[in-house]
Amino acid sequence: MTNRNKLAVLVVTLCALALPFLTNDNRFLAFVVGMTFINVLWATGMNLMYGFVGLIPLMFAGIAGIAAYAMVYFTRTLEWSFWLAMPVATLLAAIVGVALGLPALRLKGFYFALCSLVIQSVLTLAFIFFPTFTNGDTGINQILPPDWFGGQLSLSSLEIVIAILAVSGVLLCAWLVRTDLGKRFIAVREDDILAESIGIKVVRTKIIGFFIVSVYAGVGGCFYAAYTGFISPRTFDVLVSLNIWLFVAFGGRGTILGPIIGTAILAPLPYLLQDIQAFKEIISGTLIIVVALAMPAGIYGAYLAARSRKPNRSMEARMQEQRV
Amino acid sequence: MKLLEIRGLSKSFGGVAALSGVSLDSFEGEALGMIGPNGSGKTTFVNIVSGHVRPDSGTLTLSGVSIAGLRPNQLAAEGLCRTYQAVRTFSNLTVQQNIDNAGLLLKQKGLGDAELRELAEWLRLDTSLDKDAGSLTLFEQRRLELMMRLVLKPKLIMLDEPVGGLAMAEVVEMIELLQQLKKRCSIFVIEHTMRVIRELADRVVVLIAGEKVADGPPSEILQNQRVIQEYLGTAHA
Repeated sequence: MTNRNKLAVLVVTLCALALPFLTNDNRFLAFVVGMTFINVLWATGMNLMYGFVGLIPLMFAGIAGIAAYAMVYFTRTLEWSFWLAMPVATLLAAIVGVALGLPALRLKGFYFALCSLVIQSVLTLAFIFFPTFTNGDTGINQILPPDWFGGQLSLSSLEIVIAILAVSGVLLCAWLVRTDLGKRFIAVREDDILAESIGIKVVRTKIIGFFIVSVYAGVGGCFYAAYTGFISPRTFDVLVSLNIWLFVAFGGRGTILGPIIGTAILAPLPYLLQDIQAFKEIISGTLIIVVALAMPAGIYGAYLAARSRKPNRSMEARMQEQRV
Repeated sequence: MKLLEIRGLSKSFGGVAALSGVSLDSFEGEALGMIGPNGSGKTTFVNIVSGHVRPDSGTLTLSGVSIAGLRPNQLAAEGLCRTYQAVRTFSNLTVQQNIDNAGLLLKQKGLGDAELRELAEWLRLDTSLDKDAGSLTLFEQRRLELMMRLVLKPKLIMLDEPVGGLAMAEVVEMIELLQQLKKRCSIFVIEHTMRVIRELADRVVVLIAGEKVADGPPSEILQNQRVIQEYLGTAHA
């Protein structure tokens, strides 16, 4: 990581950990912050696939849903601890997700997106048509917050846990994209045919990427359920997938900070603009269109591009030195 | 030593036979050329041997081991790699990142820093390592393609029109580079530029309408009446 990136990550981390404390007196604001952190985690996962592997997994919310429903089943019916149910449910969702994604993993670009859209729709329908596990359209309410040594985690403590999780998710992603696996991801994104011909196992790389993304989706889904206390098929429908994708595209895909910026701006909007219901969609819609037109690579992407266009004196100076 | 042994290779797309019963051998240290008119199946041949396309029938072995049905990444691990007719690099990544990506296959077993530096200097990429591959000239990108293949420590590189689109002076340089490349690995080269074939190839096979019609040293092939009639034309003869 460059020093500038390190500084940015540090600032984001501090903000993330401080915000739950600062907003503690205002439950509404605290909730908005909590939701934003869950979305940061989701957007980071989405970014790993969309920004680095180059595939748009529109079944993202569906996979989060599988984990959330499984977690609720484990904790309610089987009476497991949340801290056991969450990883097991996530693993289950990731395995189901990879299995469902297998046919799509031989596709790329637009065709992958289409296929994942179909899978998402099927998952939403499955949530409706298997009421034994999901309580159908009505959804499941009064989901308890995670247990904690005999008692329950308070909402504000849960917010801190979620903030820590979001920061860990970002750091994991930042580390991952610099490993050999991350290089393979980027190679597949840039040109999968070339990648394969220089020895990269393209399908395996996509599957690994897809598994990791499903884990992000699943962990976020479990915490979403425990945090909001309510899930229904609409909580995990295609619009949610598209929203998370939008956070990434809006902030800057393929960068670490971009999705955080995108989520920080877009995720709180629906809550903050609640009082002007009529204009809510218009305002967020206009914002998205403006950014899409003016900055196709997203806000942070545009910033990076502008910086690299500027004549970089220090670089030239370094090259001069090398020549001497 | 026989490197590549291909027997009875056939491939049809729909009702069109792109290749019918092509057999050929290539030997270690040899530069084998392939020529033929447009649409005669040259690129299909390379696509099949490099694992991009499955043949309808035929057997393929590399150093005596069957390579039929292997994916391109598996073939790269076996020491067989290729370049593309239209230049293909990771254009948004730097030259260094392009080379690093090729190095992911062998990792520690691959080339050391000194060898990499020597290769980059030989291909005159050493001063462009920080540039985006897409910002390089075509000739530079062709050299980067070679570098990325050599990082894989190949036994055989298949080159699909390595001088396509290059200026005359660059063609001369490229031929020199490819002649030096022969010391590093075996070469299979498709070309329309007869100069490349004449100066580089030890042996030439001619493909016309998916069939092998001639196989021999360039001097002999370029005098072959059928080759002249169906491909070279009389202006060359």
